[in-house]
Amino acid sequence: MEMTEQNPLKILITGASGFVGRYVVGEALKRGHSVKAVARSPENAKSLDWFEHANVELCVLDLLQQPQLTEALGDVDLVIHLAAAKEGDFYEQFSGTVLATEKLLAAMAEANVKRLIAISTFSIYEFKNRPTNALLDEDSPLVEDPLKRDGYTQTKLLQEQLYRKYADEQGGEVTILRPGMIYGREYLWHALLGAEIGNTLLRIGSNSTLPLSYVENCADAILDAAESASAIGQTLNIVDDNLPTQRDYVEELKRHTEPPKLKYMPWFVADGLARLAWWFNKTFLGGKALMPGILVPVELHARFKPLRYSNSRAKQMLGWTPKYSFRESLQRSCSREAESCPEAKS
Amino acid sequence: MLKAAVVGTGAISKEHLSYLSASDMAELVGVCDLSPVAAEYAAQRYGAKKAHTDLEQMLSDEQPEVVHILTPPHSHKAIAETCLKAGAHVICEKPIAANLEEFEALWQLARQCDRHLIEDQNYRFNDPIVKINNMVRDGVLGDVKEVDIRLCLKVRDGGPFANEILKHPIHRMPAGVIHDFITHMACLAVNYLPSFDSVTALWNNHGGGELFKFDDLDALVVGGDVHGRFRFSAQTLPESFSVTVRGTEGFAETDLFQPYLKCVIPRAGGQQLSPLVNHFVNGFGLVKASFVNFRNKLMQRTPYHGLQVLLDKTYAAIIAGQQPPVGYEDMKRTGQLIDLLVNSRADGND
Repeated sequence: MEMTEQNPLKILITGASGFVGRYVVGEALKRGHSVKAVARSPENAKSLDWFEHANVELCVLDLLQQPQLTEALGDVDLVIHLAAAKEGDFYEQFSGTVLATEKLLAAMAEANVKRLIAISTFSIYEFKNRPTNALLDEDSPLVEDPLKRDGYTQTKLLQEQLYRKYADEQGGEVTILRPGMIYGREYLWHALLGAEIGNTLLRIGSNSTLPLSYVENCADAILDAAESASAIGQTLNIVDDNLPTQRDYVEELKRHTEPPKLKYMPWFVADGLARLAWWFNKTFLGGKALMPGILVPVELHARFKPLRYSNSRAKQMLGWTPKYSFRESLQRSCSREAESCPEAKS
Repeated sequence: MLKAAVVGTGAISKEHLSYLSASDMAELVGVCDLSPVAAEYAAQRYGAKKAHTDLEQMLSDEQPEVVHILTPPHSHKAIAETCLKAGAHVICEKPIAANLEEFEALWQLARQCDRHLIEDQNYRFNDPIVKINNMVRDGVLGDVKEVDIRLCLKVRDGGPFANEILKHPIHRMPAGVIHDFITHMACLAVNYLPSFDSVTALWNNHGGGELFKFDDLDALVVGGDVHGRFRFSAQTLPESFSVTVRGTEGFAETDLFQPYLKCVIPRAGGQQLSPLVNHFVNGFGLVKASFVNFRNKLMQRTPYHGLQVLLDKTYAAIIAGQQPPVGYEDMKRTGQLIDLLVNSRADGND
């Protein structure tokens, strides 16, 4: 069943007050759906455009509270699961991402809510062992040795396994979306440009294509997936059209914002240093040394390796086209044009 | 080799599981957690034979000889009872019980079951504490007269303790969040305090709000002529765990989070040159510590290294039929001191 404006949905959105969540809630409201916005901090949600929208019900709860979640899911048609822990140590991320998802899925099973739009990430792909300039798409291999990658990758990988288990064992109607780097007003100088060292951004490489997804385009794709029955069972990469290189992105961004202090290191130098550090670690330190991410080849490659990307499957399955070009996206990000829900204020 | 199992797979489980997966004295036969995904992850990550979500099932199926209880403190007593009755020795995270009475009941049960009961008093086995203890034993500091313990942690800045919506179970303990750390402080001091004749404890909630009972402790314990000072602060940075032991001849101090050892004692050169020699020796020691700490950070040797020592000694003792390194007196006196601090509290702004 294709869901249209004539058939508005009641959608529970986790992580609703987060960077992406606020836009997803706004897009859902624009399309006439009702939203149960799950957030842990009512204070964060109060500042958002849609806070007092008639079709929004704010649910202040922690995803680990399964009984409350089950109750909140009572009259819901589908769930868009955005919440994840990006910071903290591994166990904090495990709790905020994996355990939270486990509870959410258990609550969905209890409340008999089958439909789930699950937000995953490009981070779970294998990068190190892919050839330079290879195409990264939905058929690309996932990370080969998760323990060598950071906690975010490990926990998002476990989260995807839970989604698939929910589909296989509970009859869940799951669509997994893997966005690239989501950027927008709140997040412009992002981690694919370089590494923060003190108050300096060490730019690494300039010619790699950035797998970007502008936050409004991404929200659009998420809602398209929510409204599309044909997306059930699909895993789709979400990136924009005509992706810029690192250099293009930085140059364009400099026209709109004051950059942080920038230093530059070519990709081949960074790659060489990381390989040298890894060799030293393995040879002299038994591979036990905890190096900064940019000196760990698997982590460096996951952020800066030159690859190619495709959004053709998402476009085909969802009938989605990124609404805003790269330049328009940056313009909107650096002006007041991008509102998560403009009509909520009118 | 002893068959070992773990209950609870939170953050501290990493330290226990990494020991168990590498030790040639233990075979990790089971991991148990209420969360299936957490149990499965831990079992897979650390090579346990099986993941469980039901404790009794695990005890029955795997027949572990040692169980590590790593769940939140309010659950320790019931889980420890179940494990002891099932015939397993118990190594339990701190605090082993909510109060001394609960501990004594557990100890009696352990005696009846002829099993060992061991509280994780890991910091007692950290290198600087062992060195200070050796100095005291060798009389280098003279007779101990004071011990200062200061623990500063950002318990209010995010993290599970500060979650207002899903309240951490530690808030149910008598001293709230501080109860999670008070064992660390108390167990280091009881060696030096012959008795607890006078206890004054100021408990405050400087950060305010309903979630935290207390976020600050300022306490003085006097036993004979030895003074013990205990300070827990959530407001002062950086995070640190400093211990100073003062004797009639000199003093030694360390910070267990950024380890170093400063020792001011009579040196060669007599009364006149001792201050200078102390400056040179301790200055050199501080520089050396900065390199050692850098190496430790790089090689992932954390302040939990004392736990690895404790577990190693415990497993060796059980296998050899000897007494474990943390015994009844250690746990009883630690529990006594905690009870006195909690019960004699003079509330500040609470």
